[in-house]
Amino acid sequence: MSQKVLDALTATHGAALARTGSAHGDDIAWVRRESLLEVARWLRDDPAMAFDAPVFCTCIDWLDWHPVGRPASEHWSEGKPRFTVCYQLRSVAHRHRVRLEIELPEEDPRLPSLAELWPAFNWQERETFDMYGVRFDGHPDLRRIYMYEEFVGYPLRKDYPKEKRQPLVRRDDLPENPPASTER
Amino acid sequence: MPDTRTLKQLVLGRKDVQDLSDNEQELPPELMTVNMGPSHPAMHGTVRIVLTVDGERVVRGDVQPGYLHRCFEKESEHATYTQVFPYTDRLNYVSPMINNVGWAMVGEKLLGLTGKLPRRTEYIRVIVSEMSRMTDHLTCVGASAMELGAFTPFRYLLKCREWLYELLEKVSGARLTHSYVRIGGVSKDLPSDFHADLTLALDRIEGVLVECEGLLNNNKIFYDRMSGIGVMTREHAIATGCVGPIARACGVDYDVRRDYPYSIYPELEFDVPLGTTGDCLDRYLVRLEEIKQSIRMLRQCLAQIPDGPVMADDHRVALPPKRDTYNTIESMIRHFKHIMDGVRVPPGEAYAFVEGGNGELGFFVVADGTGRPYKAYVRSPSFVHLSTAGDLIRDHLIADVVPIFGMINMIGGECDK
Amino acid sequence: MSDTVTLTIDGKPVTVAKGTNVLEAAKTLGVEISAFCYHPGLPIVAQCRQCLVSIEKNPKLQPSCQQVVADGMVVHTTDPVSTLARKQQLEFTLVNHPIDCPICDKAGECTLQKLYFDHDNADSRVDTPKVHKAKVVDIGPHIVLDQERCILCSRCIRTCDHVSGQHQLEFAHRSDHELLTTAPGEQLDNPYSLNTVDVCPVGALTAKDFRFTMRAWELDATPSICNGCATGCNIEIHHKNERAWRLVPRHNPDVNDYWMCDEGRFTYHDLREHRLAGPTVEGLPASWDRAIASAAKRLGVFLKDPAQVGVVLSATCSNEDNYALARLAKEWKVGLVLVAGKPPVPARADGRLRVADVNPNAAGVKAIAAALGLATTPSFELDRAPPANLRALVVLGDVLPGFDAARLKELEVIAVASHERGVVTGARVALPIAAWAEAAGTVTNAKGRVQRMHAAFAPPGQAIAGWDAIARLGHATGVKLAWSHAREVWKDMVAQVAAWKDVTWAREVRPLALRFAGSRG
Repeated sequence: MSQKVLDALTATHGAALARTGSAHGDDIAWVRRESLLEVARWLRDDPAMAFDAPVFCTCIDWLDWHPVGRPASEHWSEGKPRFTVCYQLRSVAHRHRVRLEIELPEEDPRLPSLAELWPAFNWQERETFDMYGVRFDGHPDLRRIYMYEEFVGYPLRKDYPKEKRQPLVRRDDLPENPPASTER
Repeated sequence: MPDTRTLKQLVLGRKDVQDLSDNEQELPPELMTVNMGPSHPAMHGTVRIVLTVDGERVVRGDVQPGYLHRCFEKESEHATYTQVFPYTDRLNYVSPMINNVGWAMVGEKLLGLTGKLPRRTEYIRVIVSEMSRMTDHLTCVGASAMELGAFTPFRYLLKCREWLYELLEKVSGARLTHSYVRIGGVSKDLPSDFHADLTLALDRIEGVLVECEGLLNNNKIFYDRMSGIGVMTREHAIATGCVGPIARACGVDYDVRRDYPYSIYPELEFDVPLGTTGDCLDRYLVRLEEIKQSIRMLRQCLAQIPDGPVMADDHRVALPPKRDTYNTIESMIRHFKHIMDGVRVPPGEAYAFVEGGNGELGFFVVADGTGRPYKAYVRSPSFVHLSTAGDLIRDHLIADVVPIFGMINMIGGECDK
Repeated sequence: MSDTVTLTIDGKPVTVAKGTNVLEAAKTLGVEISAFCYHPGLPIVAQCRQCLVSIEKNPKLQPSCQQVVADGMVVHTTDPVSTLARKQQLEFTLVNHPIDCPICDKAGECTLQKLYFDHDNADSRVDTPKVHKAKVVDIGPHIVLDQERCILCSRCIRTCDHVSGQHQLEFAHRSDHELLTTAPGEQLDNPYSLNTVDVCPVGALTAKDFRFTMRAWELDATPSICNGCATGCNIEIHHKNERAWRLVPRHNPDVNDYWMCDEGRFTYHDLREHRLAGPTVEGLPASWDRAIASAAKRLGVFLKDPAQVGVVLSATCSNEDNYALARLAKEWKVGLVLVAGKPPVPARADGRLRVADVNPNAAGVKAIAAALGLATTPSFELDRAPPANLRALVVLGDVLPGFDAARLKELEVIAVASHERGVVTGARVALPIAAWAEAAGTVTNAKGRVQRMHAAFAPPGQAIAGWDAIARLGHATGVKLAWSHAREVWKDMVAQVAAWKDVTWAREVRPLALRFAGSRG
């Protein structure tokens, strides 16, 4: 739909992009994390792009990615990037949209923060950090937003079991739930 | 903590005690931390604002959401697409049909069914969406008025809301937790007397709206408490991601129904009200006008709605008729797989967004080919708007927090997911 | 000549090993071709005709399960001709199929359901009465047959022939009256009979043990290793609500292929019998602190002269549990290290999967003891004379065959076990530990292969992992074993056991919800 956005992006920052693509009406650019700030600033400030409205910021955890009907090479395996942080942007003036996706390895899930460029991403990056443990360098106030501060772990990661309970108030008169040594 | 004199300079902007005029000659108060805690009548839903106040004036507000976090996204990853519909009801629980429609749309996008649904089902979706939008605005305006002391408009507007809830209950079986929409259509057709019931309700609501406007619009108290309060500039609104009535009150001309139209909105005539000053009064007026526009759209839909099926004729999404299910093995298996495995959505990622009661409500889904979403993210407008609340209440009185917060219409379920 | 072949399936090139059939080649591309009678572990018969595909230069449709790949072959699976053929085949199969889904055990993991929904999904064109056959046929001690549901794929017949070597199932009659039945004079009672229930694509063969107990889509699957004997078949524990409902084999070409024996399948019952749910001191319930303190106090008296203390390692427990106890034994410098296990059953050894040694980890215990330099004695060689100065015994597990019972009564026994039976009932202090399905760990099979078990659910009551209980006991007697996770025990262990240094500790596996696993039936 906004193929011209992708074209302009490729023309000016081709080296910063791993690849581009379109799916279901969205235009997506996979940006390398080293160049993210530069690309984002250009997208916001360039008058032909004018992406002034932030839409969302979230993260995808590929740990359990085994798509049906796709070859085994597309399934996730050790060594592939585990997280992809997605930023969706919109332009009020030009009405076009773009999604930036940044792939992150499991050992080092950090990338530059875009909170200074678009204030909406302040809270949304906090949410992504809270839920996935992705660190945003340069974020003015990176702390948990939904969960309480003492929470251990990152709940939306695929290896965080849904049934696990971490009550804030610990009861010493009750057995642990489940006992630590059989943590699976 | 700085000493008293520096505090004074910071807070009151004066240079010295001697510079104070007589009636201000008092010890400057210390900054005090006051908790407008999660359990508070004016905190719609459960939000905690830790206010740092100087007397009555708010110096800083640390807004802390998350008290209603119910793990929508984690639960969705373990449920089929159809099982997520009840969860979506509980997101923006004052306009649940819109959430349902948004979730159905993202599933249809990934299945390639967008624009291929029967026309009747599109009309039904728009009708119930607009009814839900009306309930959202009626609740917001009514509750905010009540918090400012205007109890009568609250009762009147909630009476209107009740008429709509009764109708929605006839349609879906529940007042609030409809789970009415399905991927590919809606679960059942409208009841037979719906047309007459809705027309009657709309007529009566229009009358009540006139009464409430009479009670509020030119009411000096209401006006003083809302005008000039919580002003947001247009640029700030855009940069902080504000959408919906809040953004439109600042002059941001963005409405998903008009700018990225979906369903049969292109065939409806409606106006998008815009405000100018971006204060609470404008937000109130925009919402009131939107109720009227919704009524306008509903009347058009009732006039234009065709007959026909309410579910797409696609075996990937439609349950077979019960008679076939019980008598043929093929339909039995199909019914079984639909319920147990869920609608199989091919691998891919899509973002579908609708105009919710609060603005652009979007669902970002990563599908993996099984019957459940691999990832289901909700782009909740309330969450984004709540992040601006801290800025909006600065330099206002504590009492102003109430109308500001009310007019942001932060729905706890949508904000905290 | 290279040993790979390149062909084109649906316009996409794919390179596979020579001798692969087209169906498997398509699978590597993510293209699923429907098939009933094909099973990768069984002889191919191309009987069901469900996997027909179009191959260029070939006038007739070919069964892709039997068609071997050739260089330059061009296969189409989405063309109208072969698609129609597969749909029609499914329609044929469904013509007489009973509408049993609500009461059929296989619902949720039924291949017929899956293939119909994925590859056909058309309405029925038949309104004539269906052919009726026998519905509840007791064909063996473990299996019930429903002849109406049978789609005559012959997987079960081939399974009996191939896996157990006994011909016990056959087809009888013909046309739409053809049915599955037992061979003349036979019952379906071979020791591998329940594999037929696994391979049956529909609910025709159902296990008496499992039928009507739990719905397949409610189950979660966790990979583990069968603890029934020293073969170490790879299994999946199907569990829900913190209990196991059945065990099914997991494919491992090096150990058990696709099969396991019936006895192994029943070992999950033991997880809920006679469980030691809390620590006991002198037979009465006690808290962990009290039990550990009591055990430490009593042992402490004897550890002043450690020759008086003996330790029993168990071939029924995991490597980690045994390693912890062996380390403790070494630190304490005990006088006697025994290895206990269930006595062998020579009749089991049939040259297929079952072996005589019914302990899962005899080889592992041996390797650990050797690596730590502990001289061990099998317990059943002691019935003549346990050492005279033996006063205390720390026993892992509950079996201690061959130990003089009278002598055992005189000893101070500290039992670290999952079940309250055998040695544990007379023990002074009993510490409850997790059974094999409840804690992460490894076992070593008879061929020296170290295999990983994953925890399916939490142990009952106050039981904890075996290595954890032993570490606590050690801590109370002054031996510091600082482990907080089984992974750390593992790391210590492979540092000592040279043969295992290349084996890696796999990432924790979360239970797989069968409901969304795509009907692997």
